[in-house]
Amino acid sequence: MHIPDGFIPLWQCAIYWTIAIIFLIFAFRWGRKNLSEKNIPLFAVLAAGIFAIMSMNIPVPFGSSGHMVGAAMVAIIFMSPWAAVIVIALVLMVQGIFFGDGGITTMGANILNMGVAGGFVGYYVWKGLYRPYMGKDGILKGLGVLGKRKWWAIGIASWIAIFYAACQAAIEMWLAGTFPLGLGLFYMGGYHAMIGVFEAIITVIVISTIEKVRPDLLAWNRLPRANADDIVPEPSEPREVASK
Amino acid sequence: MNTTERNLLIGGLIIALIIGVLSPFIASTQPDGLEASANHLNPSALINPGYWHAPFDNYQVHQLGDGYLSGIVALVIGVFIALGFVYVVVEILKRKNRTNN
Repeated sequence: MHIPDGFIPLWQCAIYWTIAIIFLIFAFRWGRKNLSEKNIPLFAVLAAGIFAIMSMNIPVPFGSSGHMVGAAMVAIIFMSPWAAVIVIALVLMVQGIFFGDGGITTMGANILNMGVAGGFVGYYVWKGLYRPYMGKDGILKGLGVLGKRKWWAIGIASWIAIFYAACQAAIEMWLAGTFPLGLGLFYMGGYHAMIGVFEAIITVIVISTIEKVRPDLLAWNRLPRANADDIVPEPSEPREVASK
Repeated sequence: MNTTERNLLIGGLIIALIIGVLSPFIASTQPDGLEASANHLNPSALINPGYWHAPFDNYQVHQLGDGYLSGIVALVIGVFIALGFVYVVVEILKRKNRTNN
C-alpha cells in the first residue's frame, strides 16, 4: 500500500505532509507523556518486526499480493492510536529513505493512510467492539477480556483498519487524478479486503503470543479491574443465579 | 534496561531477523495491492519520477547483485536500522519527558 513518488501531484503531497506532521506532533506529545523504560524495547522490537514482515508479501487471489501493516496491532497493544502513528511513521521513513518502498514526496500520504488511519480505525473499532466490557472510567467490567470475544474484536478491527486505509488511498488517488474513484475503490478495496484477512490472522497471533509470553506488556492488563461482584459474564456464558 | 527488557529486545530482534532472512525465499513476486490496482487502472503511474534514489532500492544491496543474498543482507540491515531508529527516537521522547518533569 506504499504510494510511490509520482502517484500524487506535489502540491497535494505538501497538504498530506502538513496533516501528517500535525498528527506526528500530537503523537510525540503522547509519547513524551506515556512512554516509559518498559515500553522502549517493545516499541523498537515492534518496529523491527513490522519492517521485516512488511517485506514478506503473501500471495492473494487475482494476481496480487499483500503484507501486514501492523498499525491496528500497535494501537491495540498500547491502547492508543498515537503509538501506532509513531511506530508506523518511523518504519515508513526507514522504508522510504533507505529502501525506496513508498515515495519521499508521498510519505505524508502513506503516514496518513497506514499510520493514522490504520491506527485510529483499528483502535476505535476494537474499542467499540469491546465497549461492553470496558467502562467509561477505563475499568474492565467483564470477563470478556479473557474470552474469545477479544480475539474476534482484534481480528475484525485489524481487517477494517487495512480495508479503510486502502479505500482512503484510493480516494487520494482519485483526488490526484491517478485512479477513477469507483474502479479505484473496487480494486484497492477488493485486493485489501483479501490482504486484510492475513492482517487479522497475524495480528491475533502476535497479540495472543504476547498475552501468553509477556502479558504485562499489553496495556489492557495494566488497567484497573472491577471487583469480582461487578463482573458481567460473557453473553455466551450462562449467568449464575444467586440463590439464598 | 533490566534483564527482562533486554531479553525482550534480543528475542524480538531474533524473530525479526528470521523473518527478514526467510522473506526473499518465500515472499510473493506478485505486485502488491496498490501496484496491481495501478496495473489495471493507470500503468503509466508506475514510472518512477526519480526524486530520490534509495541506497537499498527494492530491498537489494546492488553491489551484491539481485539474488537472494542481496535481499537477505538488505533486510538484515533494514531490521537493524528500524530497531535502532525507533529506539533512539523513543528514548529521546522519554528523556524529554523526564527533563520536563
